[in-house]
Amino acid sequence: MEQIDNPSLKGKPVIVGALPGRRGVVSACSYEARKFGIKSAMPISQAYRLCPEGIYLPVRMSRYIEVSQRVMEILKSFSPVFQRISVDEAFIDATGTERLFGSPESLARKIKKRVREETKLTVSIGIAPNRYLAKLASDFSKPDGLYIIRPGEEEAFIDKVELKDLWGVGKKTLAKLKELNITSTKKLRSFPKEMLASVIGKSAADYLYMAVRGIDPGIHPPQTRSHSISSEVTFQTDRKDLPGIKRVLLELSEELMYRLLKEKKHSRTIVLKLRYSDFTTVTIQKSLKHPVSSSDELFQIAGELLKKKWKGNREIRLIGLGLANVTEREDAEQKDLFEDSMNRKRKVEETIALIKEKISDVEITKASLLKRKTRHHHYKDQY
Amino acid sequence: MKFSCEKEVLLKEILTAQEIISSRNALSILSNVYLEADNDKLKIKATDLKVSFEVEIPVDVQISGRTTIFCDKFLGILRSLPEGEIVFELSEENVFFIRPVFKKIDFQLRTMSPDKYPEIQKVSEDRFFKLPQKDFIDMISKTIFAVSTDETRYFMTGPYLERVDKSLVMVATDGRRLSLAKKELPGEIEGLKGVIIPTKILNIVKKLSSGEGELEIAITEKSIFIRLGELNFSSSLIEGQFPNYQRVIPKDNKYMIVIKKSVLEDALKRVSVLAEQKSRKVLFFLKENSLIVASEENEVGQAKEELECEYSGPETVLAVNYIYVLEPLREMGSEDISIEFTEETKAITLKPIPEEDYLHIVMPMQVT
Repeated sequence: MEQIDNPSLKGKPVIVGALPGRRGVVSACSYEARKFGIKSAMPISQAYRLCPEGIYLPVRMSRYIEVSQRVMEILKSFSPVFQRISVDEAFIDATGTERLFGSPESLARKIKKRVREETKLTVSIGIAPNRYLAKLASDFSKPDGLYIIRPGEEEAFIDKVELKDLWGVGKKTLAKLKELNITSTKKLRSFPKEMLASVIGKSAADYLYMAVRGIDPGIHPPQTRSHSISSEVTFQTDRKDLPGIKRVLLELSEELMYRLLKEKKHSRTIVLKLRYSDFTTVTIQKSLKHPVSSSDELFQIAGELLKKKWKGNREIRLIGLGLANVTEREDAEQKDLFEDSMNRKRKVEETIALIKEKISDVEITKASLLKRKTRHHHYKDQY
Repeated sequence: MKFSCEKEVLLKEILTAQEIISSRNALSILSNVYLEADNDKLKIKATDLKVSFEVEIPVDVQISGRTTIFCDKFLGILRSLPEGEIVFELSEENVFFIRPVFKKIDFQLRTMSPDKYPEIQKVSEDRFFKLPQKDFIDMISKTIFAVSTDETRYFMTGPYLERVDKSLVMVATDGRRLSLAKKELPGEIEGLKGVIIPTKILNIVKKLSSGEGELEIAITEKSIFIRLGELNFSSSLIEGQFPNYQRVIPKDNKYMIVIKKSVLEDALKRVSVLAEQKSRKVLFFLKENSLIVASEENEVGQAKEELECEYSGPETVLAVNYIYVLEPLREMGSEDISIEFTEETKAITLKPIPEEDYLHIVMPMQVT
């Protein structure tokens, strides 16, 4: 993403996340950076040791979400059966679109072309008889890949996938499989289900048994009915000054509300997370009777939660704010009779969100947040 | 203190007292009912600090005195006792005895000092004005369902009462629909400014009203007092600014649908079975003398019903929350009703035909 917005970064190891010399982790990195052994979620200090000549950039979450939505829109235009599974991954069912878009391969080329034209991004596409294989196929040929698994080739394809890359195999499962001397997908297939079940549990065994046979095990991150959005900041140095901490909360409130409005969602539950200098982490949450209406309201409640949980004596290392149970705005269609102050604030923020969407580099924010120094965040997204 | 009376006489009033009391904590004085026997009368008081109730009933007082007892259990005891006369007595040790005459039943209740009982505010007699019970109850029924339940919009959580010229107007809104009922005042009222009344007192008065005769109302800066025969109720008012409701009532609507109320009600009930249950959205497809009520097609299916009506405007579609239409229809006594509107995105007005000082405004929903 950063390489597109700034073409001079192309071909260079770019690391997005915390800045070196400070605290935080790698949120994402370019393929060039991966060659140095840098991975997502790695502490930034470690990344810097591996690649001191890398280009380290801060996270621009709202820009990524905006682009993500544009890509999703493009995908939706190719098939009505669409399922988004994360910020940068989605499925479409292309069955029956041959007359419109031609063969699977030509469809994929058309999608890649449009995404590139409209966002300059490259995408990897996997095409397969089911979603599970399609996901593996898209991972198989990253970056800018296109991989097609045709009916009948399922098991042959699985044989090429490393066990650790099998979707749904975590570190723990991998370790347990290793105890059985299972180190490849092919070996895994040779084991009877009951035997696997005795080691990794019945449901994991059922899942893998199907997966290695190229059968969709049917566990997809569910169509997001409800999720949470959150954002957190690790301070440069631990702090306990209330005005400074509140300012960060105000920034977080603004950012979250903007993301919420942009998704046309709402939430009634506010979660505050604090990590003290000794790494003890606490969270406190509050549910409202009505959806959070504005960043002002969010900030006010975040402040109340902070006051409840934090007595001002412990140094804070990290502060995070989240909105849980984010759902479709059920009242979005219902119009209001009055212009009350709560509606007004919401409308102002909706308008700002709209402007930001149209003119992506415009900076509209609260006066108290202007002239801010370079921030230094790391973000966590849950969909 | 010692007095006696028929079970039925007291039970009725204690039921009302318990309805006022919101505390269920046996250790709180607010869970108690206040009893004061003197001069062959028993004074009963109950309060939740916002809404208060006071009544005097004739009883046979042998020894004057006063006390407070846990209302919930007192009510339970009275309910359980057989019909007939009961003797109530407060002992030297401040224990309250309840003993039916000619029965070997003995109930004892602990008491709390009446001195701790919160003062119930009074208002001078000359502040009261009279209103037919029927009129006031009718206004409550026609508006109270439209109040907001959102505590952050506390100023909309009760109906607004004000005098407009020679009429009394009650308005309730939750910000999406608005109900307005108007009654002509029998006499002059001086200086009644608009007040927002909590629903609790209105619901209780509505429940206890016979609908016959008159009731008396007094309004002060912070409180409302309602007298229903011997029963005295008071409530603190909701402070805050009620929205300017006049501004949102559409004037000179362009188009009008006239339809049989029962026909529309029945169709809405049927179609609502398949309406999306969160948004409760139904669509009104309009063309000359025809109204199609339909649910949006969803994963379950779709419902549609075509109704005859009088309509001569252009073909159009309105989307509404069906509850916002059904609730006011229920309060309209007429055979026919009118639906008036100007644009698909502007407020819709529902009125009985002939007009009877009642109207309901509904903000539509987005059609798609």
